[in-house]
Amino acid sequence: MSVGRMKRSNWFYFRTVIFYAFLLFLYGPIAVMGVLSFQGETGGLTFPMRGASVHWFADVFNPSYIGDFRWPWGRSVILALIIMFLTMTISFLAGLAFRKGFRGNTFFFYLVVASLIAPSILISLGIGRMFTSLEMQSAWWSGALGAHLTWTLPFGVLIMLAIFSRFDPRTEEAARDLGATTWQTLKSVIIPITLPGLVGVALFGFTLSYDEYARTSQVSGEYNTLPLELVSVTGTASTPALYAIGTMTTIFSLLVIGISFLSLFIIQKRRSGASIGIKES
Amino acid sequence: MSVSKRKKTNSVSRRTVLKGTAAAAGVGAAATLGGFPTVWAQDLKDITIRQLGLAVSNMDPFAKMATDALGFTVEQTAVDLGTVGNRGITQPKSFDLLEPAYMQFKFVWPTGNFQPVDVNRLSEWDKVSGIYKESGKGWDDAWLGDGQRPNSVMYVDGAGSDFKAPGSTDQVAAMPILHNADTLGIRPDEIGRPISSWGELLNDEFNGKTALVGFPAIGGMDAAMALEALGLVSYADKGNMTKAEIDATFKQLIEWKKKGHFRALWTTFNESVNLMLSGEVVIQSMWSPAVTAVRAKGIPCVYQDLKEGYRSWSLALMIPKHVEGKKLDATYDYLNWYLSGPAGAFFAKQGYYVVTPENTKKELSPEEWDFWYEGKAAATEIRDPFGNLLEKAGAIRDGGSYKNRMGRVAVWNSVMAENEYLTEKWNEFVAS
Amino acid sequence: MAHLFEKIQRYSTALQMTPLGIALLLFLIGPIIVILITSFWKFNGFLTIPDFTVRNYVKLFTSGLTLDNYLETIRIAAIVWITTTVLGFIIAYYLVFDVLSLKAKMLLFLLCVVPFWTSGVIRMIAWIPFLGKEGVINRVLMSIGITDEPLEFLLFSEFAVILSYVHVFTLFMVAPLFNTMARIDPALIEAARDNGAKGWQILLHVIIPLCKPGIAIGTIFVLSLTLSDFTAVRLLSGANVGTVALSISNQIGSYNFAYSSANSLFLLIVLLLIVGGIMRLVDVRKQL
Repeated sequence: MSVGRMKRSNWFYFRTVIFYAFLLFLYGPIAVMGVLSFQGETGGLTFPMRGASVHWFADVFNPSYIGDFRWPWGRSVILALIIMFLTMTISFLAGLAFRKGFRGNTFFFYLVVASLIAPSILISLGIGRMFTSLEMQSAWWSGALGAHLTWTLPFGVLIMLAIFSRFDPRTEEAARDLGATTWQTLKSVIIPITLPGLVGVALFGFTLSYDEYARTSQVSGEYNTLPLELVSVTGTASTPALYAIGTMTTIFSLLVIGISFLSLFIIQKRRSGASIGIKES
Repeated sequence: MSVSKRKKTNSVSRRTVLKGTAAAAGVGAAATLGGFPTVWAQDLKDITIRQLGLAVSNMDPFAKMATDALGFTVEQTAVDLGTVGNRGITQPKSFDLLEPAYMQFKFVWPTGNFQPVDVNRLSEWDKVSGIYKESGKGWDDAWLGDGQRPNSVMYVDGAGSDFKAPGSTDQVAAMPILHNADTLGIRPDEIGRPISSWGELLNDEFNGKTALVGFPAIGGMDAAMALEALGLVSYADKGNMTKAEIDATFKQLIEWKKKGHFRALWTTFNESVNLMLSGEVVIQSMWSPAVTAVRAKGIPCVYQDLKEGYRSWSLALMIPKHVEGKKLDATYDYLNWYLSGPAGAFFAKQGYYVVTPENTKKELSPEEWDFWYEGKAAATEIRDPFGNLLEKAGAIRDGGSYKNRMGRVAVWNSVMAENEYLTEKWNEFVAS
Repeated sequence: MAHLFEKIQRYSTALQMTPLGIALLLFLIGPIIVILITSFWKFNGFLTIPDFTVRNYVKLFTSGLTLDNYLETIRIAAIVWITTTVLGFIIAYYLVFDVLSLKAKMLLFLLCVVPFWTSGVIRMIAWIPFLGKEGVINRVLMSIGITDEPLEFLLFSEFAVILSYVHVFTLFMVAPLFNTMARIDPALIEAARDNGAKGWQILLHVIIPLCKPGIAIGTIFVLSLTLSDFTAVRLLSGANVGTVALSISNQIGSYNFAYSSANSLFLLIVLLLIVGGIMRLVDVRKQL
């Protein structure tokens, strides 16, 4: 990129310093969490460290009065996976429709934006009261699922819109001119080209759902999701087990992300050379 | 039939007796046999009771203890107090037993989501503290306390009914289980002089080093205790303030806040512990187990006995309407077990009281009883229910004896008639 | 499958939009209608009772608290917005123009994203050991002699809340800005330079105008996140800061569903107006 070739001014160093300072700022609390999760057995949630141990990691798997995290964790992972799948599918389909354009597409676009900006507490209260008024029981797989969708779908749809807006329609036309059916076009042209975007949608969907608290707060029903359990425990347990959970869930997320990127990388590798129509990701 | 033995003269309606006959006979038999589980438990073993309450009294070891004793499964889920009420109001089917505080009864009970508890089916009812009976006192010279006494929001006749005069019916909205008295927690090492009055909460000496509990009604009452002690505001009833009293209280609070007097308002147990542990505050509203938690980290902290008395609270178990048949029988078995002693010992060792002290005494060693209830110096090491050392021999419990705490209740945790107004003023206080 | 697909094709657009439509109808429009209805109900101090009263709205628009809450919220949002925009711009600029290799760009961007895989709640709580009176920052400041007394404004204050917002929300500004900046044709900048434009002139007259859509999208993210949050306020302000969302959450906490409905509906309207205004200024959709 030619801009990069310009003389490195003081401003360049200023920006570099800002960027790395920001990274430091981003990682600060996480580093504290990581360090404090190795707090000694008599230590608390804040500094100073009273020795070092892996006691609190063991504590997570030996539930006594801090509650059992394993089930909420499992629920959150399952919910996040369902949300990921739904968000990908729904956003992809909506993306196809938006691309063609249809009557009322502006209305739908604004609806999606409204869903993005709707205050989390309104969604949570509203879904909760809707279930109450229908005399139904909200649960993490029903009410909370819906609440999460209102949050992940806008991101999914907006990303798909961005992807499709850079998608060169001529690629598709070419495929059709060569006699491909719609199904074939979709399978062999559209999906492969939009795949990086779809993976992005999936990652967004998973992360936003996995860590969602405010929208879930009124609608999780009988059983807590992990963020709810964590908030509940932050209120009652004053032990570094909390940080140990934080550290472990972070490592878990990194594994998930790592695996997704790796698989994406492998897919891309296999397809190398078939880079058609996509301008820039 | 054993039920008639415990029946107070002519106080059981015919309907109640008929309805409750079969089950009551079983429970009655169990009570007569004096032990749990009974033969009935075998029918009940597939039953699971899902209890929803606070973390102080809902934890895996306790649920396991109940399950082992009863032969059916007791599951406990811990949430914060606000959620307990919210779930009771909006999702009554998401649990089989709710554990609200008495101060929430006026929100939860009138929804009609709950069925009354029939006291004739409670084997230990006659041993329940007088606080929950007609007199409203555990013993004669005990203080009655301002505000919403538990017995004033207890007696009912039918689901969702109005609250009746204490002791006038055989049905209660919920069965009382636990109570304790709250006061100020202090860091004696940082303060370095004796503290004896609630007024110290508003002492310039502790500017920026105090905290208040962040629930509007409770925080308001703690502030009222301090303001009254200083003679700045006087109250007819601190637990049921008039609009003028609320105005006067918050006018003062906002002035103090503007001076930077309050470091924080805490809403969870853990926040109060961390405020003390990390040296953020030296004097604040506090719960007794929180003081214990601070001390467990090696930081000196005292649950300070104050001359104006205590602010008390109580928890109870409320049965939602959907519980019926065998599940209801099992629920009553659990309620009866709760008051029968083992639970009392379990909670006594964490610093609060099950409402049947006589039964608790049976399950504690004499040394433990003397320490926890009589306020005497520990004759042996004092351990919590999990075996952790709490106090060495010779230690004396702060707050003194059971009688000193529960006999000197200055005010009960309450929801006032002017609750909405108070909440609004509280939000102004927060925003100021 | 293929045959079925051809058949479906005829109604394709409607079918493709159906899942999104159902999801938003059930979980966005449905709840908003329920909230609208509830906002006309009555709260008797203890129970929320079906009714038709405008009392909640009268209270909302006459209470001094509403104004205080909104002023406080808007002030915080403004500070957060300015900070995240400036920071986000510099970071995006660095990633797009200063970092040359694509791999390095991706790696650095990923580094910015990784902290988001940690629980948000724990990330917020982890600020407490940093900012407290005996926290990391105060210890450092005191040990190097910058201050003798611990700085109290760091924790349980508006500062702590703003800091945690900037911490979490900056990335929501970086991502769209990165996206728009990456699409700026370098030839444009080259041309401007050839015509004698100085660095700041290029920034002001070429780059910033071209970044408007990115800033607009980032602003929508940051503002809606800031205005809806009550968790950070609760955990880090020591309840010393009164924002709109916290007030609503407190009203739900005292079971006043009627008033909290009216209040949250009004917040939604305020947000819609702000975002509508932004979208009127910048055609966000066209720029996606």
